[in-house]
Amino acid sequence: MPQVKAQWRSLEELAQDSQFLLRVEQEFPGLAAALAAPRDRRQALSLMAAALALAGAGLGGCDGAPEGHLIPAVRPPPGIVPGMPDYYSSAHVEGGYAEGTVVKHFMGRPIKVEGNPFQPASLGATSPMAQAELLNFYDPSRSWGVTRAKLPRSRSALEQALAEQRARLASTRGAGFVILTGASTSPTLAAQLDALRKTYPQIGWLHWEPIGRENVRKGVLLAYGARLEMKPQIQNADVILAIDSDLLSAAPGHLFFAREFAARRNPTRAKMNRLYAIEAAPSLTGAVADERFIAGPREIHRVLQALASALLGAPPAEAPPWLGGIVSDLKSNRGRSFIHLGPDHPPEAHALVFAMNEALGGRGAVYALVDDPAHVSSDDALSLAALVADMRAGRVSSLLIIDSNPAYAAPGVLDFAEALAQLEFSLCLSPTPNETTEASLWAVPMIHPWEGWSDARAFDGTASVMQPQALPLYKGVEPHELVGLLLRPDPPKSLDLVRQTWKDKLGAADAWTDALAKGVIPNSASSVSNRALSNAAARVQLPEPPKAGVVLLFRPDPYLVDGRYADNAWLQELPRPLTRISWGNPLQISPRRASEMSLESGDVVRIAIDGLHMTTPIVVAPGQSDDCVVALLGFGRRHAGPVGQNVGVDFFKLTGRSCGAPDIQKTGAKEELASAQHRATMSDGWGVYARNGTIAQFLNDPNFARRNEEPQPTFYEWKPEGPAAWGMSIDLNACIGCGACVVACQAENNIPVVGKAEVLREREMHWLRIDRYYEGPPESPKTNFQPVLCMHCEEAPCETVCPVGATMHDAEGLNVMVYNRCIGTRFCSNNCPYKVRRFNYFDFAGEERRAIESRNPEVTVRARGVMEKCTFCLQRIAAARIVADRDGEKASAVTTACEAACPTRAFTFGDLAAKASEVAARRAGPLSYTLLADQNTKPRVTYEARVFNVDEAKEPQQ
Amino acid sequence: MTLLRTGSAIGASAQDLKPRANDPIVAPVQTISSMTSKICAPPLRQQWPLWWKLSLAAALFLVLILAVAIGWLFYAGVGVWGIDWPVVWGFALINYVWWIAIASGGTFISALFYLAEAEWRSALNRIAETITIFAAACAAIYPILHLGRPWLFYWLFPYPNVMGVWPQFRSPLLWDFAAILTYVISSILFWYFGLVPDLATMRDKADAPHKRRFYGVLALGFRGSDDAWRYYRVGYGLLAAVMAPLVISVHSIVGLDFAGAATLGWHSTEFPPFFVFGALLSGFAMVMLVAVPMRRLLGLEDFITGRHFDILGKLLLTSSLCVAYACLMEAFTTFYGPDAAGKRLFIDKVTGELAPIYWATIVFNVLAPQSMWRQSVRLNETLVVLVSLLVIAGMWCERYVIVVMSLRRTHLPSAWGDYTPTIWDWLTLFGTVGLFIAGFLIAIRLLPAVSMYEMREIILRRARRNR
Repeated sequence: MPQVKAQWRSLEELAQDSQFLLRVEQEFPGLAAALAAPRDRRQALSLMAAALALAGAGLGGCDGAPEGHLIPAVRPPPGIVPGMPDYYSSAHVEGGYAEGTVVKHFMGRPIKVEGNPFQPASLGATSPMAQAELLNFYDPSRSWGVTRAKLPRSRSALEQALAEQRARLASTRGAGFVILTGASTSPTLAAQLDALRKTYPQIGWLHWEPIGRENVRKGVLLAYGARLEMKPQIQNADVILAIDSDLLSAAPGHLFFAREFAARRNPTRAKMNRLYAIEAAPSLTGAVADERFIAGPREIHRVLQALASALLGAPPAEAPPWLGGIVSDLKSNRGRSFIHLGPDHPPEAHALVFAMNEALGGRGAVYALVDDPAHVSSDDALSLAALVADMRAGRVSSLLIIDSNPAYAAPGVLDFAEALAQLEFSLCLSPTPNETTEASLWAVPMIHPWEGWSDARAFDGTASVMQPQALPLYKGVEPHELVGLLLRPDPPKSLDLVRQTWKDKLGAADAWTDALAKGVIPNSASSVSNRALSNAAARVQLPEPPKAGVVLLFRPDPYLVDGRYADNAWLQELPRPLTRISWGNPLQISPRRASEMSLESGDVVRIAIDGLHMTTPIVVAPGQSDDCVVALLGFGRRHAGPVGQNVGVDFFKLTGRSCGAPDIQKTGAKEELASAQHRATMSDGWGVYARNGTIAQFLNDPNFARRNEEPQPTFYEWKPEGPAAWGMSIDLNACIGCGACVVACQAENNIPVVGKAEVLREREMHWLRIDRYYEGPPESPKTNFQPVLCMHCEEAPCETVCPVGATMHDAEGLNVMVYNRCIGTRFCSNNCPYKVRRFNYFDFAGEERRAIESRNPEVTVRARGVMEKCTFCLQRIAAARIVADRDGEKASAVTTACEAACPTRAFTFGDLAAKASEVAARRAGPLSYTLLADQNTKPRVTYEARVFNVDEAKEPQQ
Repeated sequence: MTLLRTGSAIGASAQDLKPRANDPIVAPVQTISSMTSKICAPPLRQQWPLWWKLSLAAALFLVLILAVAIGWLFYAGVGVWGIDWPVVWGFALINYVWWIAIASGGTFISALFYLAEAEWRSALNRIAETITIFAAACAAIYPILHLGRPWLFYWLFPYPNVMGVWPQFRSPLLWDFAAILTYVISSILFWYFGLVPDLATMRDKADAPHKRRFYGVLALGFRGSDDAWRYYRVGYGLLAAVMAPLVISVHSIVGLDFAGAATLGWHSTEFPPFFVFGALLSGFAMVMLVAVPMRRLLGLEDFITGRHFDILGKLLLTSSLCVAYACLMEAFTTFYGPDAAGKRLFIDKVTGELAPIYWATIVFNVLAPQSMWRQSVRLNETLVVLVSLLVIAGMWCERYVIVVMSLRRTHLPSAWGDYTPTIWDWLTLFGTVGLFIAGFLIAIRLLPAVSMYEMREIILRRARRNR
């Protein structure tokens, strides 16, 4: 009972509380009298026993059963075939923007998230966070009861409190009442808020995101004088310049951008685009760039000025020598070149970049401007800082917080929690207990998005209806219902509200079910804007860059984002793409700064800014600018579930302060970092694992990556029997290291989470890992990603050494594990040159705090003492075989979980025996090579070497 | 110290008890009857001195720790050990190889030198074989503890079962299972068979009826008739002929546990002989280590003489030179071959973080035994004990190098890792040391420490020569 803090020693003591008695009287007439009557021991005991029995009888406690069907049907509803999955569309909403998903159900239980191929922000792929939504849904630490001042309250009490608020709203016309939510694109919520304003004209609402894109929005306003959203069309771009960009990792629609970007990365299939990255801190965009340049905040300021002078005719500015080549490349590809600027830069810089893109003539071809799908706050001047000022000044007396956690994520300088405590009425609707529910007067459990009706738009405005995937697991309140309760005591159901919103487009019953089935509402995308660039945009003055020598930069954690996913064990344990660290957020310091301060990864430092200080471990980040240190936000949650609480350091405390140089002092202490690549520096100095070359090398010899590929004689010859020969090709040109495949694999295959202590002991269980190799000097290395999974070797070394034959080959070339037969000698893992086997040192699956219903029923949950590894999603192959047998055909179309989740289509799985299959074609391609070919294992997984599209005609770069 | 020295015929000063270069195999003063009563006396004594009780108590305490460590292991899983993702084999395999190698000395001395008709072995074979069976017992528990699901160890047997599955015969672990089982069973048989005539002597010498019954049952009715002796000799010779090649095969197969894998650093044809060399080195070292205190504490100075020390020292030196050769060849083949990863691994071994362990093996196993070139060192009990201890520690480090260092630097740098043993690893190791000591102490308490019937033959032969 995480929310119950006040304790009492006896029922009698509690019974003295008049309020309690009053409430009890409402619910159980006569009970007060019974409590007040003298009792002997026997009576008391029998009362207690009855109370226990009653409490145990219903999981819903006193709040009654949820409406709808609870009892499993003896005769199931039509369409449900036991043992066969069902799929229902939904959407994963993050920062207000929807990413289309399809949820896979077994017998009514959601067990896996897939991407929605019809939805533009997904195109069938998912982000790691969308995959991990499953764990959020089944999270046992979700809130389950209404509390007021941390004491349990009944739902009727909540309704009563809201009735009081209604009365107040009516009398004050909404003055002093503010609704705080995250960014929202939901047309239904927008309609509700607008309806509220009609009734209470002075009510306010604020759409606030801790890590928002306010700079971009304001930049658009500066440049175009309207609220527009930039929609890059990367597929048409030949040259891309990304400055501190999150285009491939976090920008709304990043899966779509990654797909389009990767479609032109493999020179055997398409004409390559060229990506330049200029950045202070290493990012995924920088890692996949053809050429990456490091520039600290001050240097980037100069770069922007120089770009403005070169492209917009601004006064000339001093620029780093390498910029000339980029500028001429951008200019010579006019109409096919594109510049993307990251959201951390000021609005003026964004306005300048908009002007530059207009000058490069790419509008309509490489990017379009569409109407902003996001709903706006009630008042342009309303910001979180203004709200806090109003709260302090008493101008705001009531605050309704919906699914937002400002008490944790608001800039530390505002001290939101303290301001919140001064309010007369505050209510936080949240699916899990957090810092804000802790600080609010009322804490109300929210439904999980899979438990109710809503809608949301993608980055391009395409709307999706989100339908419930299951009956509520916990008694939660729907956000639409809560907002509705501010208007009337019997608000319409969310379903009716959503249908009402879309009655024009989806009025017909067929249109509605089609939209639900497809997961998108047809023709709902925002219209393309023809609005011209304002003349002033090109002449915007950039604000002065920070003066300090070293700047503290804040970046969202790639997986926990602003801390909202801190309770998700899959995301906590997912190694961060570049540092490979899980369960923590060490401060990132450049190699040179670290050696100057004689720091190494794991050293604990004391960081002070504006008189505020905290201690944090550091990690040396190769390729980071010496002018900055980078703090990842989203860790160090103070009130969260058992997974996320007190993991890492909360850098939000330092946000919102001046940009003065942080003072960093070595403390001498050390902290172990849970890195999945256990040796701190990981270089492929031999260049033989993640192979790569330049486009010139490729044009000179397309087979440049192949070495010792011809098979050698073998002692135990194995001949493929067929009919199929399953294989996989992984395109290293496409892999951006995002980690979606790893979480998808974890969800599909019931892979347990082991926790920080076991990661430190090198016992993580991921079947699929993404190796990260650096090449070149640590100050400015090349970064290569390489997904490694079981290679399903035809001459598998693991098979010959197992004394009990627990791992063996099937006729179609799958290296299969017989878990029941495994006695755990671990010899197979020793003999695996790729080290893709994972061992259950403890009962990892049994120790997980995870509902058994959330597991994939088609995959065995492995016991203690058993070896496991990638099976090529054998259960999916088996399902395809069954269908093929039924239809008298050969199983061919199988998509593995990693392949399905991958935004860039780096994985291709299929039947090598079918010569027309894509995997056979990719395997035959010139870039294809085998990992550790000299081991003569004849793997069924091959890689396509990465090609850097560098222009070698230019003089060598820094 | 109240020693078990009952009426030493020499009865001389401590100086005279030291091993000397020109010592005969048996002190000339010993006759058949004096030898028999001297060797029979300790097991038949009612009370044993304090040193024995204290060491047994300490050893039994370690056994108790072993029981706790194993109990916790079975309850919680192999995760209580320090093994991890790249280093999936750790102390269990190290200790297993270490103990089985220690066991080799007894078999080699008993069986091979029996076939070679070396007279000097008779004074040492009982001690050496007792070392063998308890070391082999310590070794034999590790492969089972090592399993992720130890309760299913019997799946390694090729037995008919309802599942209709057999073991996978290509796996070196299966060969190993068969080899160890054969070795343990034959060692016990060989040891017991060699005891039978002496047990008969004890039965006849015993003063109390319960002792007579105890030794009588164990002696299996051996009465010393001509027939009995004839069959006994044939049987013993056969067993020795089986045992002598076993000591080679078992260590070769232990070597194949590693060499049969494609694992970097293990996949080498020199491993089987390398393991035999290593086994002999540690086996001889353990016999020397035990012989010194036994000789003094049980008053066996007349039977374990300077001659024995001389021979054992030379054997230790020879096997150490073999190990040195293997170490050299390991370096040579690594750099002669084309495998870059193998070279990388070797360089990490000799210069990396764990290089001290590698160099410890060289110093302890190769350099320290070189002192045995000098006879004065071979005859100096203190130095002999010291060098033996170094060798035994060095051989443990050697196994650490083989198991851990190879696994932590595999082909792909992304799978490089580290290994840190936990307290449970150490407690299990110490526990088996306790098991070994306890077993040995109980054996010498109950059984004659020297093979009397073979000593009689030596004394008889000497008497005939002198006649």
